Amino acid sequence: MMQRLRALATTAGGLVFVALAIRMALPAQGTALCQKSQLRLVNSMREIAQPYHVNLNKGGRMFATWAGLDSQYVLQLNQGDSDKQVALMRALLATNPQCTVFNVEPNADVVVKPMVETANQTGAWIVTHWAHNKGLHPFAGNDHWIAHVAVNSEEVGVAVSERLVAAIGGQGGIVALQGRLDTDPAQKRFAGLQKVLARHADVSLLAQQTANWDRTAAFPIMQTWLAKYGDQIKAVWAANDDMALGALEALRAVGRAGRIPIVGVDGIPEAIAAIARGEMTATVSSDAFYQGSIGLAMGVCVLTGQAPLPQTWGKEQREYYLRVVVITQDNAAQYLQEPTVDASISEWQCDRLWGRATGPAF
Amino acid sequence: MRQRPSPRSGKARAAEPSRAQGDGPVSAALKGMRRWGLLLVLLVLALGFGLADAGFGTLENLRTIADRCAVPLVLAVGMTFVIRQGSIDLSVEGLMAVSSLTFALTVANSRTPLDFGFVGLLAAAAVGGVFGLLNGLVVTRLRVPSFMATLGVGSMGFGLAMLLSGDQPPLIRDQALRQWALGHTGGVPNLALAAAACLIGGLLLQNHTRFGRYNYVIGGAEDMARLSGLNVDLYKVLVFAFAGLLAGLAGGMESARLGLGHVDTGAGQMFAAITAVVIGGTPLSGGRGSVWRSAVGVLMLAVLANGMVFIGVTPYLQKAVQGAIVLIAVVAATWHVRGRLRIVP
Repeated sequence: MMQRLRALATTAGGLVFVALAIRMALPAQGTALCQKSQLRLVNSMREIAQPYHVNLNKGGRMFATWAGLDSQYVLQLNQGDSDKQVALMRALLATNPQCTVFNVEPNADVVVKPMVETANQTGAWIVTHWAHNKGLHPFAGNDHWIAHVAVNSEEVGVAVSERLVAAIGGQGGIVALQGRLDTDPAQKRFAGLQKVLARHADVSLLAQQTANWDRTAAFPIMQTWLAKYGDQIKAVWAANDDMALGALEALRAVGRAGRIPIVGVDGIPEAIAAIARGEMTATVSSDAFYQGSIGLAMGVCVLTGQAPLPQTWGKEQREYYLRVVVITQDNAAQYLQEPTVDASISEWQCDRLWGRATGPAF
Repeated sequence: MRQRPSPRSGKARAAEPSRAQGDGPVSAALKGMRRWGLLLVLLVLALGFGLADAGFGTLENLRTIADRCAVPLVLAVGMTFVIRQGSIDLSVEGLMAVSSLTFALTVANSRTPLDFGFVGLLAAAAVGGVFGLLNGLVVTRLRVPSFMATLGVGSMGFGLAMLLSGDQPPLIRDQALRQWALGHTGGVPNLALAAAACLIGGLLLQNHTRFGRYNYVIGGAEDMARLSGLNVDLYKVLVFAFAGLLAGLAGGMESARLGLGHVDTGAGQMFAAITAVVIGGTPLSGGRGSVWRSAVGVLMLAVLANGMVFIGVTPYLQKAVQGAIVLIAVVAATWHVRGRLRIVP
């Protein structure tokens, strides 16, 4: 028995050695893995009905155009269906997987794992965003998972909550609209609010409900709160801009739009416009244009040999938190226009891909 | 027996909406339940919420509830006719999506130079009506079960809405429309008034027109209706078109309220409408039920949703509580027809 085990171990060791040898033989920086004409850039996301997703797509397309890969850009929409997101990926990878780069906005945290596995198996390349399940890392043997660009949702929650508390002078009642309760950003953004509330004893959370990220659902909830609490409500916290805008319309119906501070998250154009008008107080943006393009930029850099293979990158280059921007009335004007290609080029340079990293994630 | 093998075809009844025929002896108590069960549930709910928080019964909250009823009521009126003829309409959300975009793009908005004002609402309703017509044609001409036909047509609606939405959902800039949608007349929300007008229209259609009477007949005994020379297909198509029209109007109303045309305008509305109709005592197999009772179903759902937020039921439990209460309501309100509510007996 022991002997067989030992033999097995030796064989395994040999295999590892062979694998290592093959890896060493793989090209490092300077050698292109694919011809430019073979490259295929894929943005995989939920839909393009929400401004956030529209901008993800715009960012990706902007990069593809700049890189001269316009006709090789593919948009995959899963309409909120996680299985479909994986299935679409597998279907596309039936051909030319080695030169395909996936930039993924995961429909749910759990979808990252099967997509990374698909990339590992087929030899395709993948960059993921937001959050993924615990115990999974690009640097833990997932050579084709180029990087995970995470957003620290708790930090985001803290940032907007602080603006909200400041806007009401540190005292008064607030109401909170949560996102879908089973999602990581919803939980962490709310945790951020609670963290801030713990520091401000004079601010009380009158009520909190979920509106499932949805503007239509936020409207009647806000109406109900207005009927119940009336003037006690000094401010409105929402886990995303869509719900914040729904609450804003409910306030408009009672003639109080612009008189009650509202914060949201995402930095969608409508919210930024509302901030500029003074009807909203703040939002936080992870910059959809950037998220929609950076993964593709990384892939192109790796596949054209302008950047070394991901397995040689440092841990904090493969999984890191993205720097986010708090948008208030002071800087709203600057974010009202869409970013230009010229402004983005420097961030797509192969030696500057990590310009917005703020440190290792998770 | 061409289209819908009815479990009751053996004892097909004359269409008489308000007179339930008990199978076997029916006790007086159950008779009372039949008439008052739903209102009783509504009363208990309202009383419960009122006791939990006295503010529940304030005028402002009642207004909030009325506002919450508006869009679901418009949908439920159409849905009642569809379900009563023995069909189902699963295209509601897709229709609302496409009509929402149509509405937003035809009134003053951030994307197109059009500015048709309130005519935009008619355009939204018309688009809904056309899709509803398509529903009806696919069901009657191509003989596709309404479950599949409407799902497909609804999906087409979504697709078209997505296309219209394009890069940027259109924002509604027509201030008169916005003010109307968010405003009140005599203390009642304008949208609720519009919905009440739809309800009255639905009641008139149901009780005083051939369209309404045949609707009962077709749902109660389609084969008999055909045998007696009724143009069943025509009336079925008309009902689908009518329901589509109302779904389109609902999409326009919701957009006017929120200030933009959006693909997700109808999110969650379809099942709410069907639930309201079923709570109201219209069996999914058709032939019975009333628009009026569906309206009470809508009111009950609105009271429930409002009350849960009002008394602050924790959102983690809310879905479960809501589901349980809806189930109780269905059982209490439809006890007298319990055997007939099922599609498969």
